[in-house]
Amino acid sequence: MNNLFKKIERRSASIYSQKDKFWLIVWFGILSLTLIWNILFLNKPALDLVIEGFLNTLYISALVVILSFILGWIIGLFVARFETSRFQILYFVLTFILNIIRSIPQIIGILLGYMGITYLITANILHNHWLIMTTMALIISLFIFNEVIDLIRERVNHFRKLDFYNAMKVCGISENRIINFDILWKNSRIHILNKLIAIFGSAIFLQCTIDFIISVGLSTQVSSVSLPTTLGSLLAKIDSKQDILAIGNTLMNPSYFSHIFFEHLQGVTVAFLIVFTLLAVYKISNGFAERNRL
Amino acid sequence: MNNTGLSIHINDGLRTLAHIDNFSFTMNKITFLFGESGIGKSMISKAVYGLLDPNELQIKINDKDYQNYLDLPVTRQIKQNGFFVFQEPSSHLNTLLKIEDQLNEGAIDQHLDEKTILQTLWDTTDDDTIKKIIGIYPRPYRPSGGEKQRILLAMAFKKINLMLQPSGSSSFSLFVFDEPTGSLDNHFRNLFLQLLFDKFSRKQFTSLFITHDYSIISRIMNHHQNMIDAIDFKELARSDSGKVTLNFFSPEQYLSWLKRIQKIPGRTDGIESPKSEVLRIHKHFRIYNREYSIYSDAGCNHSTDLIIHRGEMVYLKAGSGVGKTTMAKILMGLQPAEQVEFEIAGIKISEQSGPGVWKKSIWGKKMGMVFQHADEALNLETTVKESLDGLKNKKLRGEFLKSKLEELFEDKIDDEFLSKKVKYLSGGQKQRLNLVRTLALDVDLIILDEPLNGLDFISIQKTLDWLQEKQRAGKAFLIISHNEEIFENLIDSNRTYFLNFQ
Amino acid sequence: MTFKKKILEHLLSAFLITSLLGTLLYFTIEKKNIEKIQSNEKIESYLGLSFIDFENPFDRALLLDVLNAYEPDQTSEHETLIRTIEQYRKSSLIAGMEEAYRKEPLSSKKWQQLSLMYAKFILIYMFVMLLTYYGVQTFGILRFVRRQQNQKSHLLCFLQQLFSAPKFSRIKDYLKYYLQAILHLIKAVIIASSYFVLFAPAYVIAYSLKTQLNTDTIFFMITLAVISNGLLITYTNKFYTFLVAESRKGYVQTAIVKNLNTSYKQTDKSGISYASVFSFRKHFPMHVFQHIFLNARYQYLQTIKEQASFLISGLIIIEMALNIQGHFSYELLKQLLYKNYDIVIVIILGIFYMVKLTEIFTDWLTHKKSLKYENIEPVCAK
Repeated sequence: MNNLFKKIERRSASIYSQKDKFWLIVWFGILSLTLIWNILFLNKPALDLVIEGFLNTLYISALVVILSFILGWIIGLFVARFETSRFQILYFVLTFILNIIRSIPQIIGILLGYMGITYLITANILHNHWLIMTTMALIISLFIFNEVIDLIRERVNHFRKLDFYNAMKVCGISENRIINFDILWKNSRIHILNKLIAIFGSAIFLQCTIDFIISVGLSTQVSSVSLPTTLGSLLAKIDSKQDILAIGNTLMNPSYFSHIFFEHLQGVTVAFLIVFTLLAVYKISNGFAERNRL
Repeated sequence: MNNTGLSIHINDGLRTLAHIDNFSFTMNKITFLFGESGIGKSMISKAVYGLLDPNELQIKINDKDYQNYLDLPVTRQIKQNGFFVFQEPSSHLNTLLKIEDQLNEGAIDQHLDEKTILQTLWDTTDDDTIKKIIGIYPRPYRPSGGEKQRILLAMAFKKINLMLQPSGSSSFSLFVFDEPTGSLDNHFRNLFLQLLFDKFSRKQFTSLFITHDYSIISRIMNHHQNMIDAIDFKELARSDSGKVTLNFFSPEQYLSWLKRIQKIPGRTDGIESPKSEVLRIHKHFRIYNREYSIYSDAGCNHSTDLIIHRGEMVYLKAGSGVGKTTMAKILMGLQPAEQVEFEIAGIKISEQSGPGVWKKSIWGKKMGMVFQHADEALNLETTVKESLDGLKNKKLRGEFLKSKLEELFEDKIDDEFLSKKVKYLSGGQKQRLNLVRTLALDVDLIILDEPLNGLDFISIQKTLDWLQEKQRAGKAFLIISHNEEIFENLIDSNRTYFLNFQ
Repeated sequence: MTFKKKILEHLLSAFLITSLLGTLLYFTIEKKNIEKIQSNEKIESYLGLSFIDFENPFDRALLLDVLNAYEPDQTSEHETLIRTIEQYRKSSLIAGMEEAYRKEPLSSKKWQQLSLMYAKFILIYMFVMLLTYYGVQTFGILRFVRRQQNQKSHLLCFLQQLFSAPKFSRIKDYLKYYLQAILHLIKAVIIASSYFVLFAPAYVIAYSLKTQLNTDTIFFMITLAVISNGLLITYTNKFYTFLVAESRKGYVQTAIVKNLNTSYKQTDKSGISYASVFSFRKHFPMHVFQHIFLNARYQYLQTIKEQASFLISGLIIIEMALNIQGHFSYELLKQLLYKNYDIVIVIILGIFYMVKLTEIFTDWLTHKKSLKYENIEPVCAK
């Protein structure tokens, strides 16, 4: 028995020291506890909405990660190749366009993109639920994928400065292999993975924010258009807003604290899921970077 | 410390970085420490000096936690009174502080005869030369690597001067010089040795001198006979158990080998014909607005075209920072020149030639190059096999690949070795892999930039034998190296060229 | 890329976007006018007939008969026309009421209003930028100093104290011991709560405080912009990682062997004092950390462009989500809703210029610094 305790203690200490794994477990653990609590105390229709909103949010964010990765890798490769080739004009044009996208604040770009989605929905061009979410993810990734390109360029340029790159080139090894296999796959996949974790966090933040803004600010126009339920749009619902107001109430009236976990569960859960997920993703990303000494 | 020896075990949580049971050096003596790169010379020396971070590494000294060692009075004395000159001078100077400010902070913020030290290391009496160098922020190419190295040495000498002062501490002090001559040519290296021995003669101190430069042995034997009693030569070697052992190194062993080296006469076909010519560089060229010339004599009086035939080994000499590596990179099409003209196995090239020429006809086909730092030139994250995949030589598979590696590696090559990550090879193994990768190509000429870098004495002998074998088989080599003593013994003086600029 | 090339690229993209949005603006205004004319054109002539009362069904029937009498082969078209007139009158009545509220021309008064909003937006932006610049460095250093001191997390200290309590002979000692443990717990709770605040999107904080505070003040906006949306924590973390990465570099080891101070205790005379950490002009003389700090700050300078962009997004979120009247980004949202695309374009252009100006400014700043460190700036040798 004693041995078992010691084993558990050792294992716990090992996981605690690997902060990314530790926070991944904490995230899942707390999410499960929240789910159990909600099953016990939140009414069924509201619970279904919260679960749907959370899963949709995760789905869109995961898709943003995949799309940003694909777009970033492909365009990043073009930029890296054009940079040293004789097609300098192509390099200039490509970086020029990328810099223009960078100069548009993400939130405005995505907001305009969402306006486009509502137009497509009202024009009955876009009606499939999954297709709408995929388009939403594509719009968000268009304003995030620059981060992947920056990383790819930084990694390739770092190795180009070293003898590493030239030493392979003069052996006749193809540039495609050097960049894709030797630089990006063998020496940068940890960096890229870390960037994708960070992008996952950004995607959740941006998506919730846009959905919230649209649901609050453009409600009269867009509510007629059925955008999928996400945590952001749930938070903007009048009952959720009342629930969040209750959190502020407890500052002045601490005895009210216990009520928020029973009577204001929908809004508090949604707000908690957003903030806690953002915190957990940040911690996972930091822990991952620390463990891999990035 | 000198009698018992230290048992040192350093681990990064994943694997052992260095493990030695008998690390020792004699008090009030200068210990020259040889050994292949990556064996742990620097790491062990840093552990002894008290520079490693116990939070980042798992370190045991004499089976006790490193913190215990750090708390010992003797370790505190070492840190208080000593100095550590690190290798890679570029990364050991702060790029955001002027050099003169870095030369005057902490314990060395006093005058401490700085001017004399700098003038000695620069071999000048001109104040302005020194002022120009120390009045700037260190950048990658300015001051040069050799100059940065001398700045770090100047800091060490200031600390030595502090100790030499009448009020200086009489307690234990340790001065560690880690590859202090790596970026110095022989002239400046000799000035530094002279200054070190002069200081030592005034008051004895303990010093660890880590180096790969075996020609220091000849220098000491020929010019500093009076110091021999104050010097130990030691070598770190890997034992079968994976541990590292410290052995005495016999200087005679090196000196007698040097005498035994045999030169291979010029061309294998014996006929000077344009057909056998693999490289011809026109004697004058221009880079960075500097007019360069190639000479056939050390005095740089007779300019000449540099010509290499099949089966020849040619040595290109120049002072530190003159531009030997730059010239090699121009030949390989990795750097542009303002005006240049050369011919590689019948292909005429000038400054006008586009990068496509090298890609299409030269890289991996006519010419190859071995870069000086194997750690940088190889992809450390790949396996040995992967590092050779993608080469132009498609035959390099299976048993043929193993046999190629066996030519330079002492052991039988098995699948386990092929699937080993390059980063887990020793420094010497990496350098040999670096050589094999280029020599496995079916090319006419290979440029070797510091081919003996990181090799221990045994590997140096083996590598040179192997290169000579390849030379006999018809390969041509252009050698760039600081290791003048060895290559002067290996290559005919009429096959040596000198590079200089106006 | 050289500084000149960078500036050229910025100016070129500003020119391109201005031309693009300018053209769009022109066509939007034109379209507005044309729509107005076109919609009226067809039926305006009939509406202008003073002897017909379109309210009266008899008059409408009479008009239809008259039209049919003149053009007997187009009876169906005439019926459509009468229906259109009816619809037009009905919709123009509603639209007229709505438009009075919604439709706004890009008049000089509107320009004036927008300029004031823009100025306010820039002012808040600059203020927040300065505060975060200070906050990021201060909190980054504090975290780094804690790391160097090997301080454990308060939660871990609490748990350790709780589960490994020694045996005391006096109750007073027990009390003292557990009080210390509780203190760790309180600190842990405070830190955890502040993490929640730092990561919360601005609207979550703002809505939860709406009944307690006046969330419409500029002061509240600035505070919210600094602490929420993950701005402060993200860049504090970035600065901290720069510090950690720099502390592992070779020049730090050279500084150590020169015997510069290495203690990170606040109480040590040679350590890192709180005064120097919280100071606006941070300086750590005779300490190894001065080397680390200089290099980390230089790297941080190069991320300011990215931070500025992050902040602008944050400000837009705050203004939009809080629905504060009279703010630039809320105006954008409102005009988007009312389909006043000409005003939308002007606002977007304004925000774009601000991002561009920040990019140019940070490029200039880094260029200036790099000139110094590249020894291109005249250096006076001693």
